[in-house]
Amino acid sequence: MNDSDPTQVKRRDFMQLAFGWCSALFALGASAVAGARYIVPNVLYEPDQRFKGQKPEDYPEGTTFLSDIRVFLIRKGNSFRAVSAICTHLGCTVNRGADGHGFHCPCHGSQFSDNGEVTSGPAPRPLSWLLVSLSRDGRLIIDASQPVEAKKYLVI
Amino acid sequence: MLQRVWNAFRASRVGRSIFRVGLPASNLERAQVAISSFLLHLQPAKVHKRTLKPSTTFGLGLISLYLFLILGVTGVMLMFYYVPATDAAYQNMKDLEFVVTAGRVLRNMHRWSAHLMVVFVLLHLCRVFYTGAYKPPREFNWVVGVVLLLLTLGLSFTGYLLPWDQLAYWAITVGTNIAGYAPLVGQKLKFLLLGGHMVGESALIRFYTLHVIVLPGVVLMLVALHLWRVRKDGGLARPDEPAFVQQELAPGQLPTSKTYGLMELARGSTPAVGLAPEDVVFTWPNLIFRELLLFLAVVAVVLVLAIFWNAPLEELANRVHPPNPAKAPWYFLGLQELVAYSALWGGVVVPGLLVTALVLLPYLDRRRRGLGVWFARERKVALTLFTVCLIAAVVFTTIGSLFRGPNWSFQVPWKPIPAEEQAFH
Repeated sequence: MNDSDPTQVKRRDFMQLAFGWCSALFALGASAVAGARYIVPNVLYEPDQRFKGQKPEDYPEGTTFLSDIRVFLIRKGNSFRAVSAICTHLGCTVNRGADGHGFHCPCHGSQFSDNGEVTSGPAPRPLSWLLVSLSRDGRLIIDASQPVEAKKYLVI
Repeated sequence: MLQRVWNAFRASRVGRSIFRVGLPASNLERAQVAISSFLLHLQPAKVHKRTLKPSTTFGLGLISLYLFLILGVTGVMLMFYYVPATDAAYQNMKDLEFVVTAGRVLRNMHRWSAHLMVVFVLLHLCRVFYTGAYKPPREFNWVVGVVLLLLTLGLSFTGYLLPWDQLAYWAITVGTNIAGYAPLVGQKLKFLLLGGHMVGESALIRFYTLHVIVLPGVVLMLVALHLWRVRKDGGLARPDEPAFVQQELAPGQLPTSKTYGLMELARGSTPAVGLAPEDVVFTWPNLIFRELLLFLAVVAVVLVLAIFWNAPLEELANRVHPPNPAKAPWYFLGLQELVAYSALWGGVVVPGLLVTALVLLPYLDRRRRGLGVWFARERKVALTLFTVCLIAAVVFTTIGSLFRGPNWSFQVPWKPIPAEEQAFH
């Protein structure tokens, strides 16, 4: 190799450049990843999505609104079901229709049938049905974080 | 008397170390004061006469800057009492309103300035569009301006949550859910913004941090860049002067038709090169005086608004019952109206396309014809497109603000809402 040829890159210069750039980029990249990861919380202090209610017989026939978890508990004879009151459009709380049927959202006017299906308005999905179960001491447990297939009842 | 005290101070060692020039008496000093004073050097020593004419810009950008400064000062004042915690924030608002001396006026000033700033930044954007002032060489400064508009909306939106009342809570719930509709990243973005799944303590502290330091810091830096580019791009946009012919120069040859004096040197083909010296006047006092006058006017208007009209504060945030109807801030009501038809289109597609179009505009519309002229005839297509979008935005915003009642049903604003429809269930 001819040392005086200006088009030749010396090994030492090449190594210095390569190491320099690699470590600079690595430092920047690692800091960016760590910084981005830093703002994703690892622990959430949010209210429990499971709600322990009364004994089944304490609920009246028809609809009860469980405000703690924003869920409608609907009793029909000895069957219980839970429908989420959180509008699937933009997260407002839906209201029971004025005549006791269906649900409607005050924010953007979405309307839902008794089963939670969208009947009009911008909502993209039906209201979720949620898991209703019975605790050991015979009380209802509604889990708002556990959606189930529509038309799934708890029958006592 | 005052004059003599000032003169003595100016002549002292301390006075000379602070003020390099002092109040200028000669043209030389008028130039020196603009060049060597920190605040005044934002301006060139001399400006074109067009700059002084109100109809050139109506001072819209400057008014926006003044409102930003008022927001900074009143915002820092509010920070002395405000605690960003869900169980304290609303109480602090009540304290500011009823207990703290002048607290109500400061909060009102902050709120009204924020609304006005959105209005004036939008008007400023319209002015720059209708005078074609984004055309080369000012393309990049237009893009900086678009980013500043988005930051202004972001500042207003993050500030919206802080009072922790019904208005705040549900506007942010709706707003962040719209972000959730963005393809692929939507849900992650929403989680990151809120620091959780719902609007709660972590969302409040995140919005607060963004509102009081992150966004204002970025705005401040970009405003500095924005103003610097105005100067470096040759001052305010104005029509090319027909009399000017660029001289072909041999290397080393000095142009013969120019006077080198107190003007700035401007490189390349920027409009300031070849400027006839007769059309310019000294910045001090011509421009400075007008700017100070405008500042006084802006402060006066904000003060009058703040003294006579109170900023709204609804009941404490209730995470179960949204108000009916639940509305976003007014400048998002056009989007909310679209969102009422489809969240994806109204919340993501339309605003995304609008912002993309605004950013690309100066790179697509590059002809210099019509530069610096209001509603230039040569720009019929661009003017029509922009005006149609503008009218659509105004119409949707008006419908969303005034014509939407309970359950987002259509209603006319001059008819009272029946009591049974207002009630919650």
